[in-house]
Amino acid sequence: MAITAPRALAPTRVDADRRPAPPGRRGRSKVGLVVRIVLAVATAVVMAFPLWIMLTTAFSGQQTFDAEVSVIPQQFSLANFTRVLDAWPVGVWFGNSVVITLITTALTVAVSVLAGYAFAKLVFPAKNVLFLVMLATMMIPTQAILVPQFRIVNGLGLIGTFWAVIVPGAAATFGIFLARQFMLAIPNELMEAAKLDGAGSLRIFWSIVLPLCKPLLAVLTLLALMYQWNDFLWPLIALKDPALYTLPIGLQFLQGQYQTDYGALMAMTLISVAPLVVLFLAFQRFFVQGLATTGIR
Amino acid sequence: MTAVSALPTTAPPVGGGNRRRRPRWDRSAIAFLAPALLLSIGFLIVPMVAAFVYSTARIAPLSGKITWLGLENYATMLSDPVFYRSLLNTALFMLITVPLSMAVGLALAVLMNSVLPGRKVVRTIIYLPLVISGVAVGLIGTFLFNETIGVFNGLATSLGLPNASWQSSGIPAFASLVLITLWIRVGFTMIIYLAGLQAVPQELYEAASVEGATTWQRFRFITFPLLGPSTFFLLIMNVIYSFQVFDTVFVLTNGGPGVATEVLGTYAYKTAFGPARDQGYGAAIGVVIFFLTLIFTIVQWRTNRNRDETA
Amino acid sequence: MALNRRQILTGGLSLGAAAGLSSCAGLTGRSSSDTPSASSSGSGGALQAELTFVNWSGDTEKMAFDAVIKAFEAANPGITVKTETVPYASIQTNLDSRFQAANPPDLFRVSYIDIGQYTSQDVLLDVSGTFDQAKVDAFVPGLWQGVVYDGKPYGVPHQIDTTAILYRLDSFEAAGITNIPTGLDDAWTWEEFAEASRKLAGIVKGKQSPFIYDWQSAGAYRWLSWLFQAGGNALGEDLRTPAIDSDQGRRAVEFTQSFFTNEWVPRNSSVKSATYPDSVFIAGTVAMAFAGDFLLPGIETGVKGKFEYGAMPMPRDVNAASDLGGNAIVAAKDGKNTEAAARFLDFIVTEEQQRTFCEATGQLPTLNALTTTDLDFAVRPELMKTFVEQATTITPEQVRQVTVPQFAQVNTALQAELEKAFLGGASAADTTAALAAAIEKAAP
Repeated sequence: MAITAPRALAPTRVDADRRPAPPGRRGRSKVGLVVRIVLAVATAVVMAFPLWIMLTTAFSGQQTFDAEVSVIPQQFSLANFTRVLDAWPVGVWFGNSVVITLITTALTVAVSVLAGYAFAKLVFPAKNVLFLVMLATMMIPTQAILVPQFRIVNGLGLIGTFWAVIVPGAAATFGIFLARQFMLAIPNELMEAAKLDGAGSLRIFWSIVLPLCKPLLAVLTLLALMYQWNDFLWPLIALKDPALYTLPIGLQFLQGQYQTDYGALMAMTLISVAPLVVLFLAFQRFFVQGLATTGIR
Repeated sequence: MTAVSALPTTAPPVGGGNRRRRPRWDRSAIAFLAPALLLSIGFLIVPMVAAFVYSTARIAPLSGKITWLGLENYATMLSDPVFYRSLLNTALFMLITVPLSMAVGLALAVLMNSVLPGRKVVRTIIYLPLVISGVAVGLIGTFLFNETIGVFNGLATSLGLPNASWQSSGIPAFASLVLITLWIRVGFTMIIYLAGLQAVPQELYEAASVEGATTWQRFRFITFPLLGPSTFFLLIMNVIYSFQVFDTVFVLTNGGPGVATEVLGTYAYKTAFGPARDQGYGAAIGVVIFFLTLIFTIVQWRTNRNRDETA
Repeated sequence: MALNRRQILTGGLSLGAAAGLSSCAGLTGRSSSDTPSASSSGSGGALQAELTFVNWSGDTEKMAFDAVIKAFEAANPGITVKTETVPYASIQTNLDSRFQAANPPDLFRVSYIDIGQYTSQDVLLDVSGTFDQAKVDAFVPGLWQGVVYDGKPYGVPHQIDTTAILYRLDSFEAAGITNIPTGLDDAWTWEEFAEASRKLAGIVKGKQSPFIYDWQSAGAYRWLSWLFQAGGNALGEDLRTPAIDSDQGRRAVEFTQSFFTNEWVPRNSSVKSATYPDSVFIAGTVAMAFAGDFLLPGIETGVKGKFEYGAMPMPRDVNAASDLGGNAIVAAKDGKNTEAAARFLDFIVTEEQQRTFCEATGQLPTLNALTTTDLDFAVRPELMKTFVEQATTITPEQVRQVTVPQFAQVNTALQAELEKAFLGGASAADTTAALAAAIEKAAP
């Protein structure tokens, strides 16, 4: 018996090409259009400028910079990349980021979806209180728990391993909130029907609810990926060995080593930024929906 | 951070007579909740409580020996000029970046919501910086804002404009932080506002046009009020972000020159893990950050609730 | 669209998996540095051990350390040394967490200005068993002092660094500076130095400055060279009471403040900045750079013959003085292989090993035999001579002052107060008073 996703589950399309509000009069729209185009182009140029600089500097092969900087690329060379990759285990750092990010993301999504389901659909005592407590934990800044988290993880003997980053990383309650929001919209009739057929909670969750959550899973995965790939402060403290560094830490480390060798620094920045940018460009829709859904009641 | 509707509603009973006795609660919930609860307790709640505890101690760096100090760390804080400066800087940072990023974000959302060729491309360019890590952003910033060999000053020179001392003067250093933060945050604001704008029913605009309202009046009396929930949400998120900012400041200015751009986040880190290695004091500063965030959020929530009620 | 989403996903995942496979070490986790090393067996002859050596190093230093370790392992089959290079900024917390977890590294590198924290907490191995009087006498006395606490030695002074002035010949010519010192005897006085700076200020263009000093970040203590030159001291005889709030102290502050008010140094090169002398000198924006000898290899590579430069001694006033830089290598008292560790310490300061290391890295030796001969430095040996000479101005009294247990806090106070003096317009009197107060507070 096919269950089609009810309309309520279709995620809000933020960047759908809806026809915008009609302007007052046809005649005025020409001038308005030109103004808007100019503004848009200006905005695009300003916003893209830093990334453009990063690109051209990374590929310029230049090591020292004097007071005259050119915005238009003068030459194309991979020298900066080879310099960095030869001297530092960037490949290892990349791999570390990949491993940590993938595992933490998988864990976060699993934990969030399970808990979100419980809060959305199950009945249990102190549900409201527990949920408020979860909400409150979103307020906790990393800086506040740096020291105790360090001592706890150190006591557990995890400092210096990936798990020091992975395990605390999976405690992101933001995902639980998102999952609950999403699952609230699933009609209860579907589950009640299954219950009458004798299915247990786990079965209902696995066979009925989860398949309907594909958009949620996509959004959660992307957001968790993005957050974990870029996470800097806690990994900086938790990963002591340079062989375990993730890309953001490696990046900051190189800042101390290369100081004003911006060619090397920009090359390294490009390497660490590229995967997420590619992912983002390919899955824009989900990223944007995920972020937008958080703001919509 | 959410309106009252965030409180969970219990599932309504199945329609019709259900003569089977239902368990008073779903035992399976334990299994579903366990991982999340364990992780939250272990790595969020316990550390937060521990932070309070450690803030009353001095922990010797090498031996880990703990000496209990009572509230001495907080007393030190009250007479610590660097702490006050960090507090001031954090507040300034929030007061400047939050309204700015919301205003610019809103303006951009309005722009992107209108007829515009290639607006998908422009939109992508605007929110692309979101996915770039704070460290990478800070690094790009160091190149852009370097006083002697940076891009902006280079451009200024070639245009005959004066150079700003982005590293050695407090105000330009702070400005560089604000600018780079705007660059990454504006996209997020724009996304939220775009979604909000598109949820505004067209009929309202049409009715207003019929009544002869100008564009500005339409915006002021229809769009802006209906964006209320989005604004509320953004305020909270952006304020929380600005209280907790660390990566970008650490990499771009590291609190310099002097303590001109030191914020609570970087100060807490430096105290606990820098040369001083005073983890007790660092924990105390962290506690302060937590309370500031909490208080602000509660105040925000209350105001929003009142506003909803009086509306 | 040539590439659809699914293809990107699978492509990305396989790339990631390939990269990730090599990183799986971090999962099973402890890198071998955390696993307790095999315990040493028996005495004499065949010691079996795996030593962990935590340090920080630039590229040339890393290679030089690797060479020493290779030689050591060849001479001591059965002992292996695993190096862990961490960034200088995080080495202290790195060591902290290891000591707290009761798993200290066998060996680590520590700078003379930081060693006091470790010696005073009794976590270092007393090496008097390995270093008898004859061996101790082989060292320059003032420098051996750097590892001595309470009469006992806790490690070996591996090398020292000091600061001298690198200058561009073309700038000096353009400014008409002709009285270039050839040795310590005719080093510039403060007046002569100020005069030269004035001349250079007349010819600099745009963003250039006459010179830059190397007091950034952890190097703030290098300001003390000016204090010592003026005849002042940071600490009194008892090494606890401050002596900085003196006429000499105020004079030193005023003189160095004038660098900023006269715009002789780049404004963004103050004590709290991250603009270091080597990058600025390479970029061609200063005519003179106060630089440590260890920067020479990097500078030589960076300058790449764009301009010619020479070296000259530090300015002098009442005294000639420069800073004690450099590092000791120490062993943890509770390490698992103290005997093997002691052997390593013995090995790295043998004449041959120290010579090879210093010649490769442009750093200065601590053994008498080496300070009196001409080392064949790999990079610009004729310039290194200036540094070698300059190092002879370091007195045992100065060494004692900068190696006190509380020196890290003194360094932090220097950073804070000098920043205010240079960029914040604080008066010299206020600065020295604040420094004295901080030094007093830091005393154990």
